[in-house]
Amino acid sequence: MRTFIAIALLISSLSSFGQSGTIRGIVLDSESGETIIGAAVTCATCENGNTATDLDGNFSLKAAPGAHVIEISYFTFQTLRLAGVQVNSNEVTVLGELALNPEDNLKLDEVLIVAEVQRNNEIALLTLKKKSTAMVDGISAARISQIGDATAVEAAKRVTGVTVEGGKYVYIRGLGDRYSKTTLNGMDIPGLDPDKNTIQMDIFPTDLVSNIVVSKSFTADQPADFTGGLLNIETKAFPDKKIASFSLSTSYNPAMNLNTNYLTYQGGKLDFLGFDDGTRRLPAGARGSSIPTPIFYPNSEVTSFVQSFNPTLGAMKQMSLMDLSMGYSTGNQWEGKKTTKSGETPKMGFVLSLSYKSNYNFYNDVFYGEYQRYIDPAAYELRYATKQQGQIGEKSTLLGGILGFAYKTNLKKFRMTLMHLQNGESRAGQFWIDNDAEAVGQSGYLAFSNNLEYNQRSLTNILFNGTTVKPEKNVEIDWRVAPTLSLSTDPDIRKTAFTYGTDTFFSAGAGGNPSRIWRYLQEVNVPFRYDVTKKYTFLDEPAKLLYGVGNAFKFRHYEILFYDMQFFGGQSWSDDDPNQVLNPANIYPNYPNRIYYQTGNNDPNPNEYSSNSNTASAYVSTEFSLNLRTKATLGLRAEHYIQRYTGRDQAYASGNITNGKNLTNDVVLNSLDLFPSLNVIYSLNESQNLRFSATRTIARPSFKELSFAQIIDPLTNRIFNGSFFQYAAWDGQLVETRINNADLRWETFWDRGQMFSISGFFKDFSDPIEMVRIAEQQTSTEFQPRNVGRGSMFGAEVEWNASFAGLSESMENLFFNGNVTFIDSRITMSDVEFNSRKSYERIGQTITNTRAMAGQSPYVLNGGVSYTTPESQTNFGVYYNVKGPTLQIVGLGLFPDVYSQPFHSLNFSFTTKLGKEKGISLKLRASNLLNDDVLSVYKSYQATDKIYSRYMPGWGLNGGLAFQL
Amino acid sequence: MKTFFQISAFASLAAFALTSCDPATPVDPNPGDNTNKIITENITVNETWYSDTTYQLGGRITVTAGATLTIQPGTVIKGEAGTGANATALLIARGAKLMAVGTASMPIIFTTVADEISHEQLMTGDFKGPNLDPNVSGLWGGVIILGNGIISASNSAGDVSEVQIEGIPTSDANGLYGGSDNTDNSGHLSYVSIRHGGTNIGAGNEINGLSLGGIGSGTTIENIEIVSNQDDGVEVWGGMINITNLVSWNAGDDAFDTDQAWGGTLDNFVIITPLDHCFELDGPEGSYTASHTIKNGNVQASSDDHTSHDLINTDANTPVSLEHIYITDIKPGQIINRVDAPAVFFTDIVLNVDTVQNFIKGGVTVPGITAGTTPKANTSVFSWTWAAQSGAIK
Repeated sequence: MRTFIAIALLISSLSSFGQSGTIRGIVLDSESGETIIGAAVTCATCENGNTATDLDGNFSLKAAPGAHVIEISYFTFQTLRLAGVQVNSNEVTVLGELALNPEDNLKLDEVLIVAEVQRNNEIALLTLKKKSTAMVDGISAARISQIGDATAVEAAKRVTGVTVEGGKYVYIRGLGDRYSKTTLNGMDIPGLDPDKNTIQMDIFPTDLVSNIVVSKSFTADQPADFTGGLLNIETKAFPDKKIASFSLSTSYNPAMNLNTNYLTYQGGKLDFLGFDDGTRRLPAGARGSSIPTPIFYPNSEVTSFVQSFNPTLGAMKQMSLMDLSMGYSTGNQWEGKKTTKSGETPKMGFVLSLSYKSNYNFYNDVFYGEYQRYIDPAAYELRYATKQQGQIGEKSTLLGGILGFAYKTNLKKFRMTLMHLQNGESRAGQFWIDNDAEAVGQSGYLAFSNNLEYNQRSLTNILFNGTTVKPEKNVEIDWRVAPTLSLSTDPDIRKTAFTYGTDTFFSAGAGGNPSRIWRYLQEVNVPFRYDVTKKYTFLDEPAKLLYGVGNAFKFRHYEILFYDMQFFGGQSWSDDDPNQVLNPANIYPNYPNRIYYQTGNNDPNPNEYSSNSNTASAYVSTEFSLNLRTKATLGLRAEHYIQRYTGRDQAYASGNITNGKNLTNDVVLNSLDLFPSLNVIYSLNESQNLRFSATRTIARPSFKELSFAQIIDPLTNRIFNGSFFQYAAWDGQLVETRINNADLRWETFWDRGQMFSISGFFKDFSDPIEMVRIAEQQTSTEFQPRNVGRGSMFGAEVEWNASFAGLSESMENLFFNGNVTFIDSRITMSDVEFNSRKSYERIGQTITNTRAMAGQSPYVLNGGVSYTTPESQTNFGVYYNVKGPTLQIVGLGLFPDVYSQPFHSLNFSFTTKLGKEKGISLKLRASNLLNDDVLSVYKSYQATDKIYSRYMPGWGLNGGLAFQL
Repeated sequence: MKTFFQISAFASLAAFALTSCDPATPVDPNPGDNTNKIITENITVNETWYSDTTYQLGGRITVTAGATLTIQPGTVIKGEAGTGANATALLIARGAKLMAVGTASMPIIFTTVADEISHEQLMTGDFKGPNLDPNVSGLWGGVIILGNGIISASNSAGDVSEVQIEGIPTSDANGLYGGSDNTDNSGHLSYVSIRHGGTNIGAGNEINGLSLGGIGSGTTIENIEIVSNQDDGVEVWGGMINITNLVSWNAGDDAFDTDQAWGGTLDNFVIITPLDHCFELDGPEGSYTASHTIKNGNVQASSDDHTSHDLINTDANTPVSLEHIYITDIKPGQIINRVDAPAVFFTDIVLNVDTVQNFIKGGVTVPGITAGTTPKANTSVFSWTWAAQSGAIK
């Protein structure tokens, strides 16, 4: 496989002593964007006058200081001559990407002379986008650095059709996270959130990223479990020359930074590094079904057990600091001293990148609402059951490191990359909770809640990758193994809510007793793949055969431990400070509050499960030209997927062995699927393509979905039920969603990356999975993932990137780019859903049995205007991004649907290079200039929208400097 | 509805005397063998629990449809500690029966394993908790009886005839209640004291002392005492069950809670110091409606360490007739939350206060609510309760 790496081009001139310098470059096929192996590079005046490009298309020449002429030639390509290549003593002159044009039928048998070295670093990606038979798009490190994005998630937003949810998750073409997939260096990585299928992209600092490529159509060499898009993050591997840079940036958001109202809570000493130092650890003896309680335990044991819990239960105000981000990157490559037997000079390289980020969020007016319809069909408005209003402060700390080594000869390459990401997020919230007794199923109360949370995530990944090219056989072999360990822990989530009435106390039937939760997730992924690319000739045109095998094993262990504060007898509180609740005077056996903890954990624990899955895959795919205008990729992939589960239901866990259910590594999903794919590109002329693709893909239920887990969200009290539980309207058999995809696209390209395209797509979903509200429950809110009938969607997409050169010559470096996607999705409701909606039909309303698919936005719009100075030293841009109102939660009957509202994101960025040697980069960014809110609302026929959740991210400014050392 | 509540305490005592002399009452085949028996499996065939054994509930024990659990007078049942999924409870599913018929001299006690009460103690005539205070709650779940009576429920499935009982996750289908038979028979409870329960599953989702979901009029529930339950003392959802002679003491939430158009009558009761509402009376949630009657009771709204949130709490659509109720120990701020609901009727409600309108929302007066000092309950039938034996019933 080719790696399409666009490496930052930095022509610096560090002065040092010595004689000769080095010239390095990478040679590409301008037609395909692929690197050319074995191209002859000649330079009469250089020390090693002749060399050839290696398997990455790289070459390296030694030369005395001065100007040199280089010629690059390859069979069937026009020779490229570069004149005036300046070499300085002891320095590396990086020529970047050098594209060779294939000799066409006209046989312009002339040497193309390029007077100046092109500084566009995106040839590979742009050509890839233009020439690949599959629909791909991407963003390179160079572009990311130009725009100044700090994390992969911000950078990914620049890619056509990509939107970001919650600042973390990538949605492609408005399809939900279930239908998107993220890979790292082409390999599966585990998500860190058990509720999501894709990984949180905010944990990848852009310093570690070489490029991000999004595939929107499936080809057989890719995993089949994506539908909207597959996003691959390629980490940095091998710099062109010695690099060392240090960056520092800070952000200020008036609502969030330097705010004296910021909420936090007493954490640990290592919070600043993204680790908990043990402050939040589970007390000894808390695991298991029996913990020291006043029943059968001596008083002293109960007292010391309660005291072993952290006594901090309340949030506190503390001024937030400025956001801070630091990064250090270094890398180098050398030519080996000795040549190999075949006369090659091996090259070695390394890259090391470290980054640290800390940022503060403070949401001053957060609102969560639970609303209901009235029973009376003539009453249109909604009534509340519970309203929560308050503030949340959160601090996120991210520590990341990547260390990579690579070794290559002209025809062999080996690399190893070790990556570790560590993230700690501390959150403190305070809310007034107002529950209305008049609402159905509610008892009515007023409470004030302190919520303290910490989430610690880490991801450790090691990639081993070997590539061998056998020119005599026209074969390239690539193998990869990339084991990953990911951990996500929520230690000691604390919710403490005093209920206010005639007395102030903890009321189990109202605001609830204080509770604490520990959640542990461990996941190991071991993916492996072996791919072979063979070049051959078909109808006198070059063609490629790709085949390979792969295997991905995943193992997950998940556990939730829950504890409830109890009072042995009555309660009496002189003040309502939550931090005084666990004062020794209140702990058992001290009268009157006599606090002790009760466990919610059986042994075995029904909320503990282990799952594993194995995907064995094999594919064959061929890319060939039918004629000069038509190129096609036809492939077939087979995946055998098997998922196993170890866990039990509540009945079994509490000793009901006869009626309870217990699974021990039982197979819960087992399928062999074939995924055919056809991608065709037809060149209307030099600059216009017509594309078509027809593919079949799959979306599989997650580990959590195929389980007996029953997970309460402590903040909202919403309960997730695993799919294994059977109901009148559900047989407990959750299956995969199989999707047929068809895409059609017309596109046209001009110079400098300008383009315009129109696409249409259609997707047919059999057995789509949605979260369904459980009809039988009305006191609390329970959901379960279920297959819900059949879904389909039609989409239309327009994308453009155009210079303003047409208006004025002087504006040729001003670009307008963007994309708009419209999607019409339809799902046929189940009878249960339709009947329940029908029974709550308002007067004048007509309910039909179809609706939009949950999680599917009706439109996505990205647009931006950017300006780059001719020397690429200064860039500025204004970027706008919005996603249409999206059905977030399928409400039934009494409960209206919830839609996430469009968030109008407008951002500005400016980057420039300073200093005599232009070794300092300055970045300035402004975010959320429209100061929009993140809002989700209940919608019901002729009713005023009511808020489901709302928070205000505020506008922010970010400034940073990066120094080339 | 008034035709349904004409069961006097005297008549029920007579009925009980017949039951206790029934020659078919099973006899423990191995008397004295088991002093403590841990129950972990559901009861799917008829079973009898004997008074010489203490039964320990090891989880949520369900008597499933078709089965009858018979409990002898003087039997002590103790729930293990736990919360959430770990909560213990006795659940009588639709179509199952609980025959728990004690006597005034030999009641049946449901309590926590922390309670040292024993059959031997009951033999002495002392029914008080020996070691736990009467305000210790949340140590186990409670008793849940579900039937096929009509409920007025509207939930996400629309106007439905069955829903899931509060406190039991929907993954347990035995937690469904409601149907079309208002004469359904879920068994007979008499002289039953339920203590120290009400552990919770999540905020607002706890187990009541006695939960009655869709219980038909064929069921008999009389002479019941609930002591210190963390949630409601008794909660009734729909159905047509009549309840006679009830003591609800120190409920952590409401003393008596009704929902989903209960059509029965509560006759003769004493309510002592719940922490939330003395009466939390809700209306229908679906199109079906029925009205209930609550009559002949004494309510104590505060004590030294317990103050109820309010006195009577009804919704705008609640259908209830409140008759002959005497409320004492009223503190400023404790009110009757509305008097203008069209289907709420007040008859002879007597508050032991000087100025009655200070304790009615809006400061109004209504004919059915007056100041006075006349008790309304017949407390003589409660002599068997812990509350009476400890002097808590004034």
